[in-house]
Amino acid sequence: MNLLDRYIHEVGRHLPRKNRSDIQAELRSSFVDTLEDRFGQDASEEQTSELLKEFGQPRDVAASYHPQSQYLIGPTLYPIFRMVIWIVIAAVLGAQILAWGIGIFVDGDAFSVWEMLASLVASVPASLGWVVITFMILQYFDAKPDLENEPWDPTMLPEINPGQDTKRGELIVSLVFSTLILALVTLFPQWVGFITFPGGNFYPNPVILDYLTLIQVSLLATILMNIYLLWKGSWTFLTRVIKLGLDAFGVVILAFLIQGHNAWLAAKGSSSFTTWISSIGSNNWELVGMHAFRLAFVVAFIVTIIEIFATIFRMVRSKMASDVSAKDFVLKVE
Amino acid sequence: MIKQTQHEQYQKLTQELRRGILVLAALSQLEEEKYGYALINSLAEKGLDIEQGTLYPLLRRLESQGLLQSEWNVEGSRPRRYYVISPEGTQTLEKLTGEWREITQVMEKLLAGIANKGE
Repeated sequence: MNLLDRYIHEVGRHLPRKNRSDIQAELRSSFVDTLEDRFGQDASEEQTSELLKEFGQPRDVAASYHPQSQYLIGPTLYPIFRMVIWIVIAAVLGAQILAWGIGIFVDGDAFSVWEMLASLVASVPASLGWVVITFMILQYFDAKPDLENEPWDPTMLPEINPGQDTKRGELIVSLVFSTLILALVTLFPQWVGFITFPGGNFYPNPVILDYLTLIQVSLLATILMNIYLLWKGSWTFLTRVIKLGLDAFGVVILAFLIQGHNAWLAAKGSSSFTTWISSIGSNNWELVGMHAFRLAFVVAFIVTIIEIFATIFRMVRSKMASDVSAKDFVLKVE
Repeated sequence: MIKQTQHEQYQKLTQELRRGILVLAALSQLEEEKYGYALINSLAEKGLDIEQGTLYPLLRRLESQGLLQSEWNVEGSRPRRYYVISPEGTQTLEKLTGEWREITQVMEKLLAGIANKGE
């Protein structure tokens, strides 16, 4: 019997806590039934051992009592898990590179490839670990990524239209980039500014700090929209409208920023482009930096306006495309 | 080596084929209450061999689905857990039986052409 006790105990170690002793009792009872049926009342140790082998490895026996296959991260969550993993790796790498850049320029840290690799070896697995833990918890509570039980209608399937699909790579890059900037301006507003290359003096940018809240709101909204788009995988009329709104909001902020820089530069008597050239000559790095910021914002302003027109163009095109396909359909039906 | 995998594949396919049948088989024999080992014997007598490691978890699953009821009985030589089909299980058994008859008819037709090869 000793062997049977050990066997039942070992099975119990792998059983779910709920019902454990009940399953153990049933296994024992069934085992003794079998044993007696086959070898009579006084079964030998060898006979017991033989039958236990037939019953199978304790681990396997216990596994057959688990309600579903046991997953750390199951098939429903896995695709999202894989996507999040890549986003996190990209974000960690981006943050590291940004931190090194700041470290080298601000503190004058020596640049060491080995240190870089060492800190990556520490930070990447740690971040991935947190993702795994988060998904394990989601799996444990059987979280479902989407309302899969909702009745679905094949006619509601999204149209196949290359222009409507979001470009995942672009979205992830944008997501990582916006998150890094948001983290920078939120956590280290004192580092928002510029550094002169010869000399390494740091100048804060007062204009950006004036509009910090607006910038944060805009970045946060962009991040949320990108996450939503990644989730959905394609554009809809509504998301395009939201994108238009966000772009318009961005244009307004950029306009404020340009105006702010104009005012700042005018106060220093250096508002025009030609004075920028002369300020380089005169080593007035603060002026050079503010001019550079203004130029960058002007470029961003123009790019965003082009984006807005591109979005409007895509909306019109997809509207026309769906009208055409609707007409085709009507014709075919008739 | 290839023979081995083919054999493994065959075993897996057989297992899949049997898996659905086992529910029907177990339900059909539990109109009178039985404990696990007795059910194994009663199935074996009628020609269906089923491993203990397969049957006991199956019985628990069917119970958690409400198709079976069970209770411990301590009257015999040792305590045993007895299973019996529930009213819900009886309804399910009827439906499954109907389904099974249809399937066997269809499958007989489908396999008629190759019947001799299989034997």
